[in-house]
Formats: sequence, structure tokens, C-alpha cells
Amino acid sequence: MGKVIRFKLNGRPVSIYVENNELLLNVLREKLGVVSPKYGCGIGECGACTVLVDGEPVLSCLTLAIEVDGKEVTTVEGLAKDSELDIVQRAFIEEGAIQCGYCTPGFILMAKKLLEENPDPDEDYIREYIRGNLCRCTGYVNIVRAIKRAAEELKFHVSRAKQTQ
Amino acid sequence: MTGEKFVKPIKPKVDINKVNTHIIPFEFEYFEPRTVKEAVELLTKYGGEAKILAGGTDLIVRMKQRFIEPKYIINIKKIKELNFIEDRGDYLAIGAATKLREIEKSGIVKRKFEALYEAVRSMAGVQIRNMATIGGNLCNASPAADTAPPLLVFEAKLKIVGPNGERVVPINEFFLGPGKTVLKPNEILTEIQIPYQPEDTGSAFIKIARVAMDLAKVNVAVALRTEGSIVKWVRIALGAVAPTPIRAYKTEEFLVGKELNEETLKEAAEIVKTEVKPITDIRSTAEYRREVSGVIVKDALLRAYERISKG
Amino acid sequence: MGSLASSSLKQESFRYIGKKTPRKDGVAKVTGRMQFAYDIYLPGMLYGRILKSPYPHARVKSIDTSEAEKMGAVVITFKDVPRKKFNIRLVSVDRVNYKDWEVLTDHPKYVGEYIAAVAAETEELAQKALEAIKVEWEVYEPLLDPFESMKEGKPKIHDKILFGNKEVTVKNNIACRLDYNEGDVEKAFKEADVVIERTFKTNRRYHMQLEPKVAVAKPEPDGGITVWTTTQTIHNTRILISQVFDIPISKVNVKKLPIGGSFGSSIQTNLVTLVAVALALKAGRPVKIALTREEDMYDHCSYQMYFRLKVAAKKDGTIIAGELENIMDIGGHQIQAYPLLGCLLGWFVSLYKWKNIRYKGIAVYTNKVPSCAFRGYGNPQITWAVESIIDELAEALGIDPIELRLKNYVGRGDLFWGQGPTVKSVVKSDGVPELLKKGAELIGWYNRPKPGEQKGRFRRGIGLGRGFHTSGAGGRISGEVIDFTGCILKVNEDGSVDYITALQDHGGGTLDAHAKIIAEELGVPLDKINIIWADTQTTVYDVCTHASRGTYVGGEAARRAAREVKKKLLEYAVRLLGDVVNPEALSIKPDEELGQGVIYVEGMPDKKITVGEVAREAWQRNWGSIAAVVSYRATSSPPAYTVYFVEVEVDTETGIVRPVRVVAGADVGTVINPDLAAGQLHGGFAQGWGMAVLEDTPYDPETGELMCRGFITDYKIMTAQDLPKVDDFIVIFANTHEPTGPFGAKGLGEAALNPVAGAVANAIYNAIGVRFYELPITPEKILKALKEKEGKK
Repeated sequence: MGKVIRFKLNGRPVSIYVENNELLLNVLREKLGVVSPKYGCGIGECGACTVLVDGEPVLSCLTLAIEVDGKEVTTVEGLAKDSELDIVQRAFIEEGAIQCGYCTPGFILMAKKLLEENPDPDEDYIREYIRGNLCRCTGYVNIVRAIKRAAEELKFHVSRAKQTQ
Repeated sequence: MTGEKFVKPIKPKVDINKVNTHIIPFEFEYFEPRTVKEAVELLTKYGGEAKILAGGTDLIVRMKQRFIEPKYIINIKKIKELNFIEDRGDYLAIGAATKLREIEKSGIVKRKFEALYEAVRSMAGVQIRNMATIGGNLCNASPAADTAPPLLVFEAKLKIVGPNGERVVPINEFFLGPGKTVLKPNEILTEIQIPYQPEDTGSAFIKIARVAMDLAKVNVAVALRTEGSIVKWVRIALGAVAPTPIRAYKTEEFLVGKELNEETLKEAAEIVKTEVKPITDIRSTAEYRREVSGVIVKDALLRAYERISKG
Repeated sequence: MGSLASSSLKQESFRYIGKKTPRKDGVAKVTGRMQFAYDIYLPGMLYGRILKSPYPHARVKSIDTSEAEKMGAVVITFKDVPRKKFNIRLVSVDRVNYKDWEVLTDHPKYVGEYIAAVAAETEELAQKALEAIKVEWEVYEPLLDPFESMKEGKPKIHDKILFGNKEVTVKNNIACRLDYNEGDVEKAFKEADVVIERTFKTNRRYHMQLEPKVAVAKPEPDGGITVWTTTQTIHNTRILISQVFDIPISKVNVKKLPIGGSFGSSIQTNLVTLVAVALALKAGRPVKIALTREEDMYDHCSYQMYFRLKVAAKKDGTIIAGELENIMDIGGHQIQAYPLLGCLLGWFVSLYKWKNIRYKGIAVYTNKVPSCAFRGYGNPQITWAVESIIDELAEALGIDPIELRLKNYVGRGDLFWGQGPTVKSVVKSDGVPELLKKGAELIGWYNRPKPGEQKGRFRRGIGLGRGFHTSGAGGRISGEVIDFTGCILKVNEDGSVDYITALQDHGGGTLDAHAKIIAEELGVPLDKINIIWADTQTTVYDVCTHASRGTYVGGEAARRAAREVKKKLLEYAVRLLGDVVNPEALSIKPDEELGQGVIYVEGMPDKKITVGEVAREAWQRNWGSIAAVVSYRATSSPPAYTVYFVEVEVDTETGIVRPVRVVAGADVGTVINPDLAAGQLHGGFAQGWGMAVLEDTPYDPETGELMCRGFITDYKIMTAQDLPKVDDFIVIFANTHEPTGPFGAKGLGEAALNPVAGAVANAIYNAIGVRFYELPITPEKILKALKEKEGKK
């Protein structure tokens, strides 16, 4: 009793049959082979299953798959362009913001969106923005650092791009 | 097994073998009405077997936890007439399916209804606020619903549509108990009407919780008008201290005409403590909730007062 | 983090050690390509679900699985699994291992214990089949309090269990006990100038690792089984599967995978792994069981401890006695209660020189989730109690807490037996004085307020907590704990190096540390070291990544392997260079431009050959592989010391405590990964802060369920917004060198947590003048205590 849904997944069109009661998280992982969104609690408390739907971060564990019909879904698999890491991804590696790595994809998507909304965030803003993502390893210090660093690098890129114009 | 005393089978509060938060392990029919009319028709047809899906951050959770197993899901996210923030002269109208994130980003809410802005910002995390709706927060009728106290102090009205047309209910009549509202099974909350307050009104919202992303142990909103330091008009509402969000009428009454000084605030805090009827649960104790209700009412009054002074 | 510079002097001679380098698994982790056990999907795989006991103590009168089978599900119950008792943890030697577990049981001892399991084509079908199983129960009175549980005439949670291979009868629900005496405490208490006695109760915390436990089991055509699972020890998992199911070890293969956090919760083989194996064997197809978060919360938690602690000192600040009674609420089964009784004693005696010691440890069964190790293995619990009472002692004696600690702590030259009575060694490296001095300066220790003297609503206080953890569980004699590791190192035909070890990296960067140690020892560029995701069939034994042993023990094994490989490389190089007299004439250093290690004669720039060339020639000339296999047992387990200074602010009207500033000092010997080592302290503080003020898993007294029902809505951990700002968190490392460690290194992971709760408790006391003897110190407790204090005035 479901239907075929069509949506864009990391830029490529997908069409797939889903049941009404299937969740986006499980469809991405089990039917489409996109495993970066993780199950962490299933009830919207941990942020490990975060994906971007039409550019907005949402929790795929609480989203019916059928609802993304006609939309665009982005996961970290879709961030690196031409196999070059995104600035945010690089910053996470460089600042030691990763430990076990299970929560990392969710944090990276949040950081990406955060910097899109506010290219010059202060620390309070960053901490508020990522409070929906839990990490048990890092105490968040190096994650906050990585986001600050990515912000600096993005600013540098923008000013350099302006200079070369 | 000697010495093992048999006791009457105890009834577990959760069926541990039914809960499975990986999946929704039961089927349902799914609808995406485009108009309120269609939605109401569906509700009328399926009545108590149907549930409205707005943000899903509560409904889907409870389905996974198997607290509810609706046979029909009516997704109202695609109903454009439920998703708006609109200036209607006397009041601000917010569509019931408007996402919390849109409300917090709305300049007018931040400028005119600061307590509501603060309440929304205090809720969950960005992802949840991108999904959850204001109507959902109210219709779940959690005693701790964060949007309820600010709407209570602004004396918002709720527009409800059913098969026989619409009705408008003042928010203080909307909640009946935990999870219970005046909504009939075939009715839908469509908009929240928040009257603009006079320019000299200050408002504030404060929430006490275990961590930054949490349900409230206690929350409070106040709206205040003063003449100099004399209280001219005040509204106080609290959450998580009674079966529904409540107004603190006695405290309000006490405050009117008083000078807003340390003495008054202290007395007000004491009166608040007599108005709340909190319980002890895993999040806090009744004793703590009562005590802190007084403290945050005092804090919220001061914050609102500062805002008036700053203009 | 300018503070890292302090240790840079001694590290300048290193090429890789102590340098910040990008972690090798970083790219996989940021691109979502890192495959966790949860990400394993196999062709033809079935999904499993487990039927759990809804009651805290019950017996199955009858079970009917026919409906589930009709739905096409594969079903197993307690009748279908080997009926033998075992312990899911194999770190202790067999003769002292208490065994009271079954794969599935008809006699559940806590809500959530496994009764039966199903596997089906989809998780939805498996869930439906699970719900179709009918069980008739006989329910018993639950025991949720250890003191109740020990009373005469209470229901027996266990009757007969095994100790080694000997059957023993459990009396009064006491799982095991340990007593110890040294000197004469009674005499010392009489002679003392100050005696303080207190009782303490710790919380029962849940690990809340981000990845709930998962197991995938695939039956092989030869009767064997391949397993992917969340584990800290692939070899012990393999051996346990072999023992429980009577499959030869050679036919069991456990794959090494990254683990999404663990913190001790997978030192034991999580029972879900054995259930997955049993289902797969019956189904003849691969089976995956992923625990839900709520199931995971019903699977493991920390040991909850009740201490009675009595200490005595002379006027001059010399401590002369320490008496500790430790009642542990271990839940429904033993995982490592017995070794923990010993370790707890070890932590206690290695904190301070008590001189006269009396210890009584009792582990008690209750109808609650079984307790297991949780980062620090009892050390955070006892350190909180001891650091609280040491502060009380300092106050009673009128001595500065730092001075009292310096006078009495177990440091260089003292006997240290952190891991318990069978693991003793002498302390050889000790950065405690340096850390206390620097930390005190950074936090402003000598300007801190006097306890209880502040007025006003918001009151700040500074507290100190000091502690340590061992680096592994090695020692000179064999003892009761298995602790050795091993690895294989081979130089490939192009000069790159494969490093193959069973040792797990929980994410702390242990394997990156190993890679640096190998690169440093071998003289090849770091990017030439390739860390292999291996399995039990291709690795030599490693006991487990626990006890903060990864860098210290595993790193030394890696160094020794590198040394052997280097010896062979130089031998071959001598042959290839022709006129070089012997290997001693040669050195190796990495040449980043060539991207190779270069073997050369000092002062003769032309006399050289790259490692790649040697490897290629060894291959082309049929000289054989350049490789080494090492198995290594450490003969000591030195303490990594940590010191936390924490400043808090207490809102005296709401009881809410906020962390204002943190100075975290660690003596880990040589620092190998500076940013990742700092990360251990950041994470350790966050967990410790949660332990101090937030986390607990209370039980519903009526139903024996968790009050939070397994939902993390009501098991909160700290978010990014609840912790100090980046600039308010200072990390310092002591300038020390551990002679027994690889390049002077020691462990860190657990030491990074151990003193936190003590420091926080002391800071709260400093702010408001009230001590708390029960964790967590919630706003509710603080406010109540402040009210009571006011009332007394």
C-alpha cells in the first residue's frame, strides 16, 4: 500500500517503491545503499540520522520516506565534489573533531548548513546550532573548533574569490 | 526455587517487546490532502482511527513506541493554507502547520512577541524545529509544551475547523489534561491568532531543564506593562506544573498596582508556589518544581521589565 | 592550546611522535564511507529480533512460537541453545571467572533479559513474528536494592553458578566478595589526630555510546561462522562463540570493524552476538540483529557502588589509615564483578599511601540491568569519594588540599598496583607535582573563595580532583588477568608497510598512535604505514582494548615489530650496498620527497638505498618477505596521572550548576597524538560532568522497568551548549617519560575521566559550603540542601 516516489539523492534522480510506513532513514540505508545517516535513538534525540531535505536539516528517523517525493535529499556522501573534500569535512579532520565517527556525518551536515545561514558565527551560535546532535566521545570542543576553522577558511575563500574577480 | 515469593503479575508500563524505534511495524493508509476541507472530510470519515501528521516529531515517535497505532495518517504538511505568518492588523495569525524554525526566523515574532520567540528557541534542536509545527506542539497538549505559556500570556485564540464550520477558542480553554484538548476527532486546529500587545508591553520566557535540549521541568512566560515601576497589567503562565499549562491568576492579581521591587517579587514568588500543582516524575520533583516556579516567575518579570525600560 | 608547547622540547627529536597529523580514518569518517557493524548488509540476510522479559524476575511456564513460525520466521528459544553457563567476558583467567549467563533463558533476572529470538526477511516481519510469540509467566518479587537483596529469605536471583569449572551455590544473592587487610587500621584510628568517616552512593550510568550494539552472523559452508559485531575484542568474541557453540576456533572468524563508541560496554561479548550466531546457525542464512536504543539501555550500565570510607591522619598531614567498604549493585549477572572488587581495592590503595588498610568488597545481585565496565572501571566512582574525603581531611587539618595530596599520593618510587593485588610495579614516571603547580596557577587556585562564605545568588567555586588510571593490566607475574597483545608487520614490495593487529581503536586514535610509533622506529614516512582492517583469522591474539592499554601495550608491540622489520631491512641493505660492513653501519630516515624511507651511511650521501628498493630487490631476488610477528606482554602497567581543576557557578535559587572553566592536566608520558590526546580530556570531562551532576538510571519500584523505559528522552547526556567554551578549557601535559612505554608513552582514555566528578564535587563545596555524598548532584539535591542549610541558621 505504498507508492513509487521520485526524488534527488545527492544530485542524482532516484525512483523507488516505498511502503507508507517506511522511514526515510531505512530506505536510504537498506534500499539505496546510503549508510552515512545512522540510527542512534529513533526518537529524534541524537541527530545521528540527520539529512538535508530541500537544503534543510531534518531527522530521517522521523520522516516517512513517502514524504520526500519530489524533493532533494543530501547526505555527506553528496558533499565532496570531484572527490575533493568539502571545507567542513577537511576542518573536521584537521581539528581532530572526529573520534569514533558515528555521529560525524550528522555534525558535518549541521556545520555545512550553519555556515550557509551564518558565515560568521560566534561560539554561542555554533553550540546552540549543534545541540541537537549528541557526541559521547569528543566533549564537542574540537567539533566547535572545526566549525570555527571552516568559517575562517570559507571567509578566506570568499575574499580571495573577490580579489581575483 | 525456595524462598521465591510469588507476586501478582505486575503490569509493565511499556510493552518492551512491541517497542521498536527502528521502524513503524504496522501498516496504515496515508493521505496528503491539499486543503483544510479535504483534511476535515478525511477526519470525519475515519474519526478516531486517524491521526494528523504535521511535524511528525511526536506522532512518529509515539507510533514507534506503540503508544498509538493509527490506521490512517493524514499528512497536513502540503496544505498551503495552514502554513503562514500573517499580520492581520489587530493580531498576528500563524498557520497551525507553520514550522517552529519559521516562527523563530520571523522578524515580527521576535519584535512583538519576545516570549514566544524565546520559547521556540528553547525547544529541541534545529532539526526538530525544522520539522515540528506550532499546532503540533499545542495539540499534543503536553503539560510542558513550551509554546503554551507565551500564547497564554498573549491570550491567543485558536481557530478550529470541523465539518460544521469553524470556531474560535481562547487558548486558556483549549487544554483539558495531559494529551487532551477540546478538539473533536473530526476537527483540526488551523491557526493561532495572537493579539498585538500595546507597544509598552514587555514579555519573557524562561525554561528550566536538565540540559540545553530537553523538555521543561518548569517553564514560564510573562507579559507585563508598567507605569514607571508600578505594575499596570500582567499575565503569567507556567508549564509542567499542573495537568495543563496554567495561568497564575492570583499572582497576577497581587502584582497589579504594586511597585516592582525585591519585596514584591519575593511575595509574588510565594503566591506562585501556591498556584502550581506539580508532580514528581523522572525529570524533577514536585518540591523542586514548586520552588523554582517562584524563582523563574520573578526572573521572567525582571527580564520583561528590563525590556520595557529598554523600549 | 599553547600549553602543548611545554612538552614540545623533548619531542623535537621525533619526526612523527607528538606531531599533529590527520587521522588515517578521517576521510572515510567524514565522507560516510566508514563501515560500522550497523552498516553491514549481506546478500540473503535475515533480520533478527529478540523476545525480552517484561518482568524483572520471572520464570517461563510455557512458550508457544507456532504463530511466529507460521509467519515464516525462524524462531529459537531457550530450548534451542546450549544449556551451559558461561561468562560473556573472557579477560579474567578461566579459573577465577564466575559464570552465570545463558544465551537465552527461561529464568530472566531483569527486565530485558533474552528469552527467545526470531529472524525473518524484513525487520517488520521479524517484529510481527516476535509479537506473535505467546509466553506464560510466573513472576517473582523483584529485588532492586542491594541491601534488600542481601537479606535472609529473599528470592534467589541465582542458585547454582560456576566459578571456573566448579559449581558454587549463591547465598543471600551475594555474587562474590573480597577482603583485604594490611597493617592495623584500628590502632591507626586510635593514634590519629583526625578521623573522618562518610558514606557515598554513586549513580548507575548508561554508556550511551552512539552506536547501539549490533551483530551480523553468517554461517559458512564448512560449519563455521563469520561475525561482524560491535566489540572491543575480536579474539575473545571468537573464543566465546567457539566455546558456547562447540565450533572449532579455526572455523569462527570475527571481523574487526570500527565501533561507534563503547566506553567499556563491549569488553564482554554483547549477548546479542551469541543470539545472532544461534539464529544464523538455525536459519542457515546470515542474520543481523541491531539493538534499538531502548534495548541497548536494557543491556549494560555502570557498576553502582555504595562506599563507607574512613580515613585517618596525623596533625602534620600524614595519612595513616584508610578503610573502605564497597557494596556493589551488579544487576542480574556477573560480567567482571569479581576482578572489579580487586581493582577497586587497587585504585583505592594506589591513590594515597594509607599505610594501614582494611577493605571489604561485596558484589550483590539485583533484578536490574547487568553492570559492566564503564570508562575507568570503578575508578571514577572511588576517586570521587576519595577526592571528596581528602578535601574534607585537608579542611579539618587546616592544610591546603594541594599540599595534602602532594604529601600523601602514590608517586615515583612507590609501589603501585592499580589493577589489583596481582599486578604490582614501582612507579617510574610521575608528573603530578608539575600538573598541580601549573594547574593551580592557570585556574587561580590560591585566590579561590573560602567555602560557604559567599553571599548573593550566583556563587563560584574552584575544585580539584586528582587521579590516575593504569596503562593496561600487565605485570611481572601472570596473575588473574589476561593481558598480552600482538601484531604482524610486513614491508610490501614497494616499501609501503602493512600493520595488522586485532587491537581495536575506539576512536581515540590508538591505531594512529601505533602508525606513528612504527614510522618513527622504522624511519619510513607515516603515510607509508597502512592500517589493515583485519579479522581473527589473520591476526595474532590481543586480549581487548580496555584498561587504557591501547597505546602503551599495543604501541610497544608495534614498536617491537618495527624493530624486527628494521633489522631485516638493514641486513638486506648491507647485501645490496655491497661494501658496507654490517647493519650497524646503516641508518634509516624518511625522505618525504622520495616518499620513502632511505637507508644510508652517515656522512656518505651516495651510500644509500630506499626501503622500497630493498623490498623490491628482496622480492625479485627471491630473498623472501620482510615481516615480523610479535606477541607482547607488558611487565608493568604504569599510572597515567590526571589532575582536574574545575570552576563552577551555582545558582543558589535554582540549584543549577554551570561549568565555567576547566584546566585538565595529564601525565601520559610522551604525547603521541596531541590533538587526539586533548580530545580524550575534552570527552572525559564531558562524561565526568554528566556523572557529577546529571546521569542516572533509576528504576520503577513497581515494575522493575527503567524509569526512562529505555528512551533517551529521559536519559540525558551533555550537549554542546552545556559545556565550557573552547577558550575556557585548557589542556596541559606533563613533561615526563615512561621508561617502559613505547617512546616513553603511557595510557590516557580512562585517566581522562577518573578525577572529574571529584573535582566538580569539591568545586560545588567551595562555592556553597555543602558536600554531597550521592551522585548525581542534581539541582534538586542542591536546592534542597541549601534550604536545609538556611533553615539551620
